Amino acid sequence: MIKKNSLSYRIITRVLLITVSLFIVVLSVYSYFNRNIIRETARENAIELGGSLEASIDQVLAPMEKIPQMVSNVIELELPAKDDLYRVLETILINNEDVFGAGIAFEPYFFPEEGRYFAPYAYKDGDSIKTLQLGSSDYEYFYWDWYQIPATLQEAYWSEPYFDEGGGNIIMSTYSIPFYVWRDGIRTFAGIATIDVDMEYLTQLVADVRIFESGYAFLLSRNGVALTHPDPSQIMNESIFAASSDWDEPILREIGRDLREGRSNFRAYNITREGKNWIYYTNLSGSRYSIGVVYPDAEMYAPLRRLNLILIVLIIAGLGILATAVVNNINRLAAPLTNFANSSRLIAEGDFNVKLPDIQTKDEMKELHNAFSHMQSQLAEYVKNLKETTAAKEKIESELRIAREIQMSMIPNTFPPFPDMPQVDLFAMLKSAREVGGDLYDFFAVDQDRFCFAIGDVSGKGVPASLFMAVTRTLLRSIADKVKSPSQIAHSLNKSLAINNESCMFVTFFMGIIDLRSGTITYVNAGHNPPVLIKKDGTVEMFKNAGTIPFGLHGDFSYPEESIVLGKEDMIFCYTDGVNEAENVNAELLGDQKMLEVIERHKSQTPRDLIHSMEAAIEEHVAGFPQSDDITMMVMRFNSER
Amino acid sequence: MKNINRLLICIYLMMIVSTLPAENPKLVFGAQWLPQAQFAGYYVAQDQGFYEEAGIDVEIIHPSTTVNTLDYLTSGRADVISLFLTSALNARFDGHQLINIAQLSQHSAIMFVSKKECGIESIEDFEGKRVGVWMSGFQEIPYAVMADNNVNVEWVPILSSVNLFLVGGLDAMTVMWYNEYKRIYLSGVNHEELNTFFMADYDYDVPEDGLYVLPETRKEKEKELKAFTEATLKGWAFASENRDYTIDLVVGIMRKANIPASFAHQRWMLDKILEQHGTEEHPGDQLHLHKEYFEKAFSIMERYNSLSSRFNYEEFFVPVIKATE
Repeated sequence: MIKKNSLSYRIITRVLLITVSLFIVVLSVYSYFNRNIIRETARENAIELGGSLEASIDQVLAPMEKIPQMVSNVIELELPAKDDLYRVLETILINNEDVFGAGIAFEPYFFPEEGRYFAPYAYKDGDSIKTLQLGSSDYEYFYWDWYQIPATLQEAYWSEPYFDEGGGNIIMSTYSIPFYVWRDGIRTFAGIATIDVDMEYLTQLVADVRIFESGYAFLLSRNGVALTHPDPSQIMNESIFAASSDWDEPILREIGRDLREGRSNFRAYNITREGKNWIYYTNLSGSRYSIGVVYPDAEMYAPLRRLNLILIVLIIAGLGILATAVVNNINRLAAPLTNFANSSRLIAEGDFNVKLPDIQTKDEMKELHNAFSHMQSQLAEYVKNLKETTAAKEKIESELRIAREIQMSMIPNTFPPFPDMPQVDLFAMLKSAREVGGDLYDFFAVDQDRFCFAIGDVSGKGVPASLFMAVTRTLLRSIADKVKSPSQIAHSLNKSLAINNESCMFVTFFMGIIDLRSGTITYVNAGHNPPVLIKKDGTVEMFKNAGTIPFGLHGDFSYPEESIVLGKEDMIFCYTDGVNEAENVNAELLGDQKMLEVIERHKSQTPRDLIHSMEAAIEEHVAGFPQSDDITMMVMRFNSER
Repeated sequence: MKNINRLLICIYLMMIVSTLPAENPKLVFGAQWLPQAQFAGYYVAQDQGFYEEAGIDVEIIHPSTTVNTLDYLTSGRADVISLFLTSALNARFDGHQLINIAQLSQHSAIMFVSKKECGIESIEDFEGKRVGVWMSGFQEIPYAVMADNNVNVEWVPILSSVNLFLVGGLDAMTVMWYNEYKRIYLSGVNHEELNTFFMADYDYDVPEDGLYVLPETRKEKEKELKAFTEATLKGWAFASENRDYTIDLVVGIMRKANIPASFAHQRWMLDKILEQHGTEEHPGDQLHLHKEYFEKAFSIMERYNSLSSRFNYEEFFVPVIKATE
């Protein structure tokens, strides 16, 4: 069973539609022309048959017509004696088998001694020949058609046929011809010479014609009366005109009138009791009788119909075979498609090694196979690469995570950091933009009365920055162990960092040492954002910008040392550029001004709260835009007394 | 050409054989012409047994070329015959003492027919034309019509065929509406190709078929004649109601007698004869010969025939069934 939406169904319906249409057109054209040929052949046959019938009838009638003509000639040359007329008639009957009777009828009083009537007549009675004088007051022959019509028209006349005198079924017809005598040099009409002819031979000739199964020929009298007919009861009784009336078939009357008017034709006619027929009809010369040959349409075209039927059967069988072949071929050709579909489903599920269908041909299917195969190998390789990359990335990520942990462990993250140093309250936070960052802060006690704090920002980001940060932080601790002044520390730190700094990395750095006794901060600012001083009296101001360069760039640079004195409960807010340069989606920076405003608003808070407030302000500003730089803040409050 | 004799002998023999077992009083009816639908009522009455029911044994005979119906009557071969009114008057003029016992036809069916191509559009156009007319008894009315209109025509005597007319040997022809007119049509001439002139339209609506007997028969067989007339009327009524059957019967009788018979022609004849029997003008006057008709016919016959002995309407029309019955 073919599925309705399958490829083979669609193709076969299209193919069949086109083929069937083509066959219908071809068959119609073929049929049309064949019909024309058959009709033309039938017409030719009909005319030929009609012609040969006409010739055969003429062969019978023409010699008959000669007989009274001879009588007429004899009389005109020299009128025989009255008794001789009987012998002439007898001789005619003896010598002509088909002549049943012969007569010579004279005009009234032609022989005064005979009175009004004189018409010698001879007729066959069985094997003998009898003669009589026909005319009498009971038989006024002048008024009979056989006399009156030729006498009136002065021309030969074949009478309407009649049954023979014996009351049998033999159809007779009388042929009459006027004869003349010379009287006083004038050719004068003297009477009518006749013969009575047995029409049996003629009717048999016509009745014997058979055309196909039920076709026939017919002979009609001048008045359209049937002289032959497949139905014997019609003969001599019904005319073509009566049939037209009885059967309500005007076409028959048309044909009859055509014949009356001497026209021949080949035409189709359709009457209920006979169906469609083709007919050729024509008049017989002389007698004005007519013959027709009838070709039944159904039988005429029967061979064509049979041939058409055979063709249709063959076509249907052919179409069946075609349909089966097409379906099979398409199914065979398209079968790999289903396998391809299955394979691609498996490939999609990750089975790249699935076996593709075997394609033996070198057609489009092979190309599809090659494309599939290529896709399969490409996909396998791609996925392999992807796995490796993913593994490598995961490895790096885990390393970075570890690095971050290490980095975070490098900066102090215990608050408050020094419970035994109540003079300083300090809070710091570092939030890297990536796993690891380049910001740093640190603080530690230098000795009993001094406390060092620092914040820095390494150039660049990520792993290199984090490594440089780690180096900076480590160096700071180790240097601070040996030298105690910020400028010396800065000097050493800068020098160490600059050595072998091939990648020209640098770090901005702010470092200060506060004397817990006096609150004096000595500090060095190596290119770092100036911290903000928050005085207890409420003034908030930035440190003056030292205008020095970051560490790591110039090893011999000498960093000047500055100092500032913190009063009781003054605070210092250190930060990296991740704070004031925090960026939102519109690339707007938070800015120093806004940063100072936030500090101003929250200046009375503890270092921890201030940092959290600042953090909230930054978050509000960036509004979810990804952090692009490390953010580091450190706030220290000087509490002065122990 | 002399076939009729033998045919009639055949028919005669046939009738005799078929009537042998009957014991009813016998009545011989002579139709005035060869078998055709003109006599359908008689054939139907015979075939349906109406005569037998009426207690009579009827034999139907037809004329031949040598013996006409009147001969049958005068010779005693027939007891009752059918005749045209004019033919009967003619016989009476000739001295035959026949009387009318029933007038079946109430109208004239005689007419002239002419091919349009002859250019005869009115009765005046007949002037000088060759007009066919029967030489056997119905010519007086055509003569009278032409004479009344002061038209001189060349009368051409004819027997019964229409062939001379068909082949163009005549300009016009006297025909019967129920018979020859249809015969012409059934020979292929269309109605629209013909001009027709009905005698009835020229004040000669003279009735035709009637039943005639000799006066002594009228006396001797009154009962049988009455039964015959009634049964015949019944036959006509049945024929009117059963036309297909009637046509089959008539055509069968004709073909048995070897007389060419066409259904279409006989159907037409039956229809027209029945119309002719119609009595719309004198309802209830079926079988009645009106005096005015008698006198009209008488005056025509008088113009063309010499009268051997005078007679009047009452002497001529002695019905076996009174009009009021």
